Amino acid sequence: MTGPVTDGATGHGSAIAAGKGPRRVVVTGMGAVCATGASVEDFWTNATNGVCGTEIRTIKANDGTEITVPVAQADAWRALNPDLGRDIARADDFSKFAAFAADEAVKASGLDFAERDLGGRTATIIGTGIGGQSSLEDTYINMLCFEKRPHPLTILRLIPNAAASHLSIRYGLRGPAFAISSACASGAHAIGVAADLIRAGSCDAAVAGASEAIINKGALQAWKQMHILSDGLCRPFSKNRKGLIIGEGAGVLVLEEYERAKARGATIHAEILGFGMNADGKDMINPAVEGAAAAMQAALAGVRLPDAAKIYVNAHGTGTLMNDPTETKAIRATLGADADHIAVSSTKAMHGHLLGAAGGVESIMAIKALGAGVVPPTINYDVPDPECDLDVTPNEARERPIELAISNSFAFGGLNAVLAFGRV
Amino acid sequence: MADIESSLLEIIKENAVGLTGEPTRETAIADLGIDSFAVVEIIYEVEEKLSIEVPFNANENPLANMKTVGDLIDAVKEMSGQS
Repeated sequence: MTGPVTDGATGHGSAIAAGKGPRRVVVTGMGAVCATGASVEDFWTNATNGVCGTEIRTIKANDGTEITVPVAQADAWRALNPDLGRDIARADDFSKFAAFAADEAVKASGLDFAERDLGGRTATIIGTGIGGQSSLEDTYINMLCFEKRPHPLTILRLIPNAAASHLSIRYGLRGPAFAISSACASGAHAIGVAADLIRAGSCDAAVAGASEAIINKGALQAWKQMHILSDGLCRPFSKNRKGLIIGEGAGVLVLEEYERAKARGATIHAEILGFGMNADGKDMINPAVEGAAAAMQAALAGVRLPDAAKIYVNAHGTGTLMNDPTETKAIRATLGADADHIAVSSTKAMHGHLLGAAGGVESIMAIKALGAGVVPPTINYDVPDPECDLDVTPNEARERPIELAISNSFAFGGLNAVLAFGRV
Repeated sequence: MADIESSLLEIIKENAVGLTGEPTRETAIADLGIDSFAVVEIIYEVEEKLSIEVPFNANENPLANMKTVGDLIDAVKEMSGQS
């Protein structure tokens, strides 16, 4: 492998080659909820089957007005109507999604946070792009249209740290806890920062991920005004792509210091080999190749790269005019000629763009691909675009041995976060 | 205006997680298992259902001198001018 990845990339990089760093970080639990599943198993099965979770729907506001746009709603989760306990029942959906996904991740990890007070050494870092925006919209409509006073829990519902706080209370986690808000990079930032805190010795474990629940009329209308919402399907990397589709849900990981996880015989799904983050420093809307590439390079600095055929990139791949060619160029700038031999896909065509939570569910997608040796497809792929000329795994999942899975997240405002996962 | 006593008992029943059985005037407030969320929700519902404004300041602990649900009912009646 001779790609032009350099150690001198700009931005923060925290790659630690297996065996070299003093503290390594592994994933021992995962939980997912979104339009294509209310469990990691359903989410992954639907991904390998190329199930499309987006649909044109009419979303109504409390004042009776409505908007009709494609969305990717967590129907399976709503049908399940899980009993999440009294505190969460009164919270915004973004906290409910986080609690639901975290319950799955924590249960799967087999961790007991009460044992030797692990809770005191566990971080809770949950990203969100906007937090409880749906609660805020309801409040304003009720107040301005119907002269109803805000519910007294409005503030606690909408604050972006609500999900992180609920989870810290739910499991008794008393280590570093906060929300990260960096638009569509929030989830990747949350997982990467949590891994860095474990590496640095600030904690031994973390419940880290992201959640988003902004499918409401006001938010959708605002997104529509940016003229980047698709009017039909989301077609990443396809010449006839027309934009993104807003999704909702959460992806949460349990991260653990490797020696600790190994000692207790935990099932290890992946090691976080690297994390790169930086800013374009250029434009609020348009992404920059240089920034995205530098973030990828920072994530891979120090990582021993396998043969290109064993690399999978779960792309940010929003299906917008601007992102997909920019990301293609960034991947090429990072991996050089090897970029022609790697597998790439954007799974957003299936589960929608979960905005802040994208890095949460897409990290799980990358880790599942790594474990299963299957690349999930870019569905709805239709017309090749010379500007997006990577192998984007069109329409059908493909078996492929994967040793390095990369998850890209590039946010509005030019904030980039990239995670690299491998086997221990 | 709704009957204050029955309304308040109903609101307490819905929000008191520690309560077993029906609340009465004699039920001790300490036995209601009211958490921080429930306090603000109970006050909000009292205000909404009874169309009154509870002069509640969380810094002053208005429950300090109240022992039973009956004390609470009497206080709300006083606020609404029905004592």
